[in-house]
Amino acid sequence: MAALDTPTRQDSAPPPRTDGGRWRRLLNGRYLAMTISAIVVAYLALVPVCTMLYASLQSNFLGVGPSSWTLGNFPKTFTTPGFGTLVANSFVYAAATSVICIAVGFGLAWLVVRTNTPCKSFAQAAALVPMIIPGVLNTIAWSLLLSPGQGPLNHVLRAVGLPVFNVYSLPGMVLVQSMHVVPVAFLMGTAAFSAMDSSLEEAALASGASPVRTFFAVTVRMARPAILSAALLMFIQTISNFEVPQLIGVPGHVYVFVSQIYAALQQFPADYGEVGVIGVFVLVIAAVGLYLSRRVVKGRGIQTITGKAFRAQVQDLGKWRWLGFACVVLFFVVAIVLPLAMLLWSSVLPGYESPSLHALHDFTMSNYSDIFRQPSLVKSLKNSLIISVSAGLVVTLLCAVVSYITVKTKVVGRGLLDGLATVPIAVPSVVMGVGILYFYLVAPLPVHLYGTLAILIVAFVTITMPYAMRYIVPGMAAIKDELEEAATSSGASWLQSFWRIFVPLMMPSLLAAFLYSMIVSFREISAAIFLYSSGSEVVSVQIYDLYRNGTYPVLAALGILMVIVLVILVVLVQLASRAVGIKQRR
Amino acid sequence: MIKLTGLTKRYPGRTVTANAVDGLDLDIPEGKLVALLGPSGCGKTTTLRMIAGLERNDSGTIEIDGKVVSDPSRGTFVGTDKRPIGIVFQSYAIWPHMTVLQNVMFPLRVGRPRVSRAAARERALESLDMVGLASFASRPAPDLSGGQQQRVALARALVRRPKVLLLDEPLSNLDKGLRDRMRDQIRSVQQQLGITTVFVTHDQDEALAISDDVVVMNHGTIVEHGLPQEIYTFPRNEFTARFLGISNILGGVVDAVTPDGVVVRVGDSVLTSAKVTGAGKGDAVSVFLRPESFRLSRKEGPWEGTIEFSIYHGDCWDYHVRVGEQLLRVRVYREKVGIAHGDRVFLSPDPETAIVLPQQPAAPGPADSPASSHPVKA
Repeated sequence: MAALDTPTRQDSAPPPRTDGGRWRRLLNGRYLAMTISAIVVAYLALVPVCTMLYASLQSNFLGVGPSSWTLGNFPKTFTTPGFGTLVANSFVYAAATSVICIAVGFGLAWLVVRTNTPCKSFAQAAALVPMIIPGVLNTIAWSLLLSPGQGPLNHVLRAVGLPVFNVYSLPGMVLVQSMHVVPVAFLMGTAAFSAMDSSLEEAALASGASPVRTFFAVTVRMARPAILSAALLMFIQTISNFEVPQLIGVPGHVYVFVSQIYAALQQFPADYGEVGVIGVFVLVIAAVGLYLSRRVVKGRGIQTITGKAFRAQVQDLGKWRWLGFACVVLFFVVAIVLPLAMLLWSSVLPGYESPSLHALHDFTMSNYSDIFRQPSLVKSLKNSLIISVSAGLVVTLLCAVVSYITVKTKVVGRGLLDGLATVPIAVPSVVMGVGILYFYLVAPLPVHLYGTLAILIVAFVTITMPYAMRYIVPGMAAIKDELEEAATSSGASWLQSFWRIFVPLMMPSLLAAFLYSMIVSFREISAAIFLYSSGSEVVSVQIYDLYRNGTYPVLAALGILMVIVLVILVVLVQLASRAVGIKQRR
Repeated sequence: MIKLTGLTKRYPGRTVTANAVDGLDLDIPEGKLVALLGPSGCGKTTTLRMIAGLERNDSGTIEIDGKVVSDPSRGTFVGTDKRPIGIVFQSYAIWPHMTVLQNVMFPLRVGRPRVSRAAARERALESLDMVGLASFASRPAPDLSGGQQQRVALARALVRRPKVLLLDEPLSNLDKGLRDRMRDQIRSVQQQLGITTVFVTHDQDEALAISDDVVVMNHGTIVEHGLPQEIYTFPRNEFTARFLGISNILGGVVDAVTPDGVVVRVGDSVLTSAKVTGAGKGDAVSVFLRPESFRLSRKEGPWEGTIEFSIYHGDCWDYHVRVGEQLLRVRVYREKVGIAHGDRVFLSPDPETAIVLPQQPAAPGPADSPASSHPVKA
């Protein structure tokens, strides 16, 4: 009250200084970085979706004759005979895959992060390795392993008197796709479990809950937001995956959305209206799913990296840890060794033969040397490398800034921006590819991207953006606001605190995002197959071509080579992450 | 040094009546340590964050070192990084990816004028030496204990030689013994440097112990502002009295106003208090009595009661004495041999230390709620 009584002496105060005008304020690094990122995200997210929506509402999109606005494509597609089966197949396929992936992926993540299961680093590497087996290769290898007639696994089944497993079926699709997507669930689970404060579990144990009870009542409950968002990602990835429905579903006459879209595009004249309608249908499903998971996860974003030292405690499993070890080994064998062995086997023989000692007499390395004799194959390897590293860098930087906007600021429209960055999840890669292709063919842009590697980089940045966001947002949210405020109050500009505080602290998430985006860009075929042109072929497209031509041995050799390149990339990134990780208290 | 005029911060979406900070005026002279004391939600941290520029005030002005750093009516806003401040946060906010030295060097390396690496290193070590952590310079920051991390935070906040040091509940994450030592260290460093300091706390002991001036806040406004001993001995406000933990609050009636003071009747007893403002004969008043403001006797005294509960503190005893319907807390510094539960005792209140305030409608603060405010029936 003393202060209230003190008269304010206006005369003693110096004239107030205006610190820069409105424009100068808008021109600082923070606003600039935020504005540019927001525009780029909006552009990337909206172009393919709008092209797809436009196509679904046009009577004759990209056709020869005139085209007009119409709603007719919707009833026409929905009443096509077999549409009900198509929807049912797609749902069963995607839902079964997500459930399996969550159970296996999060289970492994928990074993590796939160328990004393032996050979932790081995498990971590093992669970990562399937990520670097491209979907095309994985699918081809499994179709060889489990083909009803020739498959070596079916030979085994037959030998022990069990019925043959026909991979060309819905269960076959689920199995092969799960092998491919489990690692994504594992990585998300690892992130969730590492960020969890183990004192919460210790509190439950101290309250008298048994370890099993604690696991379900505390650990799983705390991981629930992560589990839900991971399940959703699995579902959407599966529903927009190209190679499994195409290479396994179609021969078994099991059609899902993607194979139907591909079929509609392959027929002549292509039915872009139907493609658009199914695309919009999948978009709506994904949007509803995202909305639901957002509602569940809402308000659960807990800041976990504080200025205080933080560590995750591991749980002693006692003798059960050997069971955990067995689970990890089993997964490793099934998901990696089998398909890789199959590829390796095929790559050293002049033609396909069932594995036997006798067949080894034909051992040859000529398939490998054949690759280097074909300049187009060597070039495709180089192209893939350039594209994947560029896309990874661009998307990581972009998402770092975007996640700053959505997590750390109160800027109007940040929710919309977050939504936009998520949009590409709902766009099946096939539609993404076509949408981007025709936009850049048709749109009057000053620079022609078609026929360059840039169009593929644009596609992969768009495709991987939502996933990179999923890695980076929790990392950003985990950094307590006060760590930035301490930097700002130390006199650091926004760019300085972003570069010197956020980037190093988020390095694990950033590297995970970069790694993931790079790998996806290197191995993915679904979008690339529509965007390459002569001179900008990528490895995955070359492999698909070789498969269609039936040249399995060279395909297998190229696949092995592709895997080796990916292994090297992953190891490099892992080494880098070890060098810059947060100094933890030991 | 710091001058806040009409400082107001609205919560988004709320009406003007629920301002986080509501028209705050405060002048903090150079070199003083001022504590902002109040229950959680009283606006003290928001005020500190506005001084730092981490929050924008909706109206009013903030002046630091004679320079207006925020005045929304003129569109003036100087960013946090351009203000001559250092902050220590409750959660330490030590960057875990850096060593102790790197943490402390950071402000010198990013701010302007830029300091060379060698000079920054030297100054950072000086600053660390001041908090007694020079030998920890090369340790990774998360290796330190909580108290050490907070000292690093203090060294970091001071290394730029800011004009103003802002402390946001810097002690509340520390355990008891550490808290006292850290408090004394903050005070000694502050006096050594003569730096103007704002100290936000909800702990009255901290506020009283450390500050030149205490500002008691509630509902975004200043309730009382004065020297610690003034605030403690004669709070001029019921909220302050309650918040400072004066646990015995009794109802009374003014019997007479004399030149010596105001004669107040509480139950069967009469108190004369020199410091009552604005109360006339027949007015209802509240009488605040500290636990140590009683004489406890087995034989005589105006109020008769029974011992319900006793706690031994080493240097004193606390007794809960039931007097009629009221439970009084009484503190005795000499051991009363033989006083036990259920014993009959007599209490004499000390009129010298009684605080008499005109009765106000009770406005309980969220942080403390005294046991009872019913008048004694003896």
